[in-house]
Amino acid sequence: MKSMNRVVLTALVGGVLLFMIRPILAHHSSAGFSQDIKEISGTVKEFQFRNPHSWIQVNVKDASGKITEWSVEWGSPNQLGRDGIRPATFSPGMNVTIKIRPMSNGSPVGGFVGAKMPDGKLLGKWDGGE
Amino acid sequence: MSTVWKHELRQLSLLLGFCFLLPCLTYGQAAVTPFEKLPDWSGLWSMMGGTVFDTATKTGQGGAIAPGVREHPPYTPTFEKIYEEHLALRDANRLPDVVTNCGVPVGYPRIMNLPDAYEFVVRPDIFYIVTENGPNTMRVYTDGRKLPAKEDTWGTYTGVSVGHWEGDTLVFQTAGLKGNRDNDSILDRTGLVLSDEVRITTRMRKINENTLEAKLLIEDPKALTKQWNVTKQFRKNSKPGLFMYDYGCAENNRNPADPTTGKTLTLGPDGKPLD
Repeated sequence: MKSMNRVVLTALVGGVLLFMIRPILAHHSSAGFSQDIKEISGTVKEFQFRNPHSWIQVNVKDASGKITEWSVEWGSPNQLGRDGIRPATFSPGMNVTIKIRPMSNGSPVGGFVGAKMPDGKLLGKWDGGE
Repeated sequence: MSTVWKHELRQLSLLLGFCFLLPCLTYGQAAVTPFEKLPDWSGLWSMMGGTVFDTATKTGQGGAIAPGVREHPPYTPTFEKIYEEHLALRDANRLPDVVTNCGVPVGYPRIMNLPDAYEFVVRPDIFYIVTENGPNTMRVYTDGRKLPAKEDTWGTYTGVSVGHWEGDTLVFQTAGLKGNRDNDSILDRTGLVLSDEVRITTRMRKINENTLEAKLLIEDPKALTKQWNVTKQFRKNSKPGLFMYDYGCAENNRNPADPTTGKTLTLGPDGKPLD
């Protein structure tokens, strides 16, 4: 019974977090982002936890070894901060995999959907992020 | 008591009565609702739904920037034409949101149509809407004063508002709005606009412990053929002890609007456009 309660509690908390951590781009139109989901893996260069939107800078290495810096746009630090995100959530040097909605024109830019952290913890709408 | 004293007392009573009555005569209303009779609207609130201003008349699927999405205010032909031009620009990602470059208030009624957190500050003499996004502040004077005469307003983003309490319902009127006069005030990103003739009557009340409702009755002889009724709702954040923060729009604005094309740019970390 206790484990059942834990499952229910985890589902509830997860559901609340999914609702709360949403990629709202309050300051400007997000019309440039496609509706496709792309996964990028790389090393965090910088987490700009500043208004009006947060940006995660990630260095991504391709098969040939070439490194491209991606800019991943997320919500305002105010809203994210109330949902438990902190400037240290993405520390420089951290290896992460991030799901994004990439810019339609192919630029290395995307809107944040979800992230898988080094400890396996999931952020945002990693599952069912449509 | 002598006749002289009675006369003096009567004079004093009249004087005191006049002094108490004077503010009422000046402001044109009987009394300000005392603090203990005002409702509790404390806490942090969020607008419910997306930022399409009038979801009741919305057609099309998606949010305010999705092609095909539009609302159906009872526009005059002139304003319907303006709206259609804005919709075409929106579909081409060329309708610059005036707040994208930071600096101007969103004004009224768009202040009822923002993401991020809200505070609704209730006092006997004044009611404040404080939004994190922007940031924006709106003042509604509830001290009994009247709206200024039309010739004493000059059109601002948020206008001037006066109101009163009818039980737990705040009723206020807003006038002196600039509307689309300077082409820098919209209601949402579909490109809805109103004119500088607009007047809005708003009724706000709690419909349950965690939901505030604002019913807007919009009248605009230039832009509308009849009254336009819009309802916005706000949900109270149940987590205790939350803070509101700065929203310094210019702090790290990597999405300015191109002043020539109207396109919203995306800047890289070096400040150069990425798209």
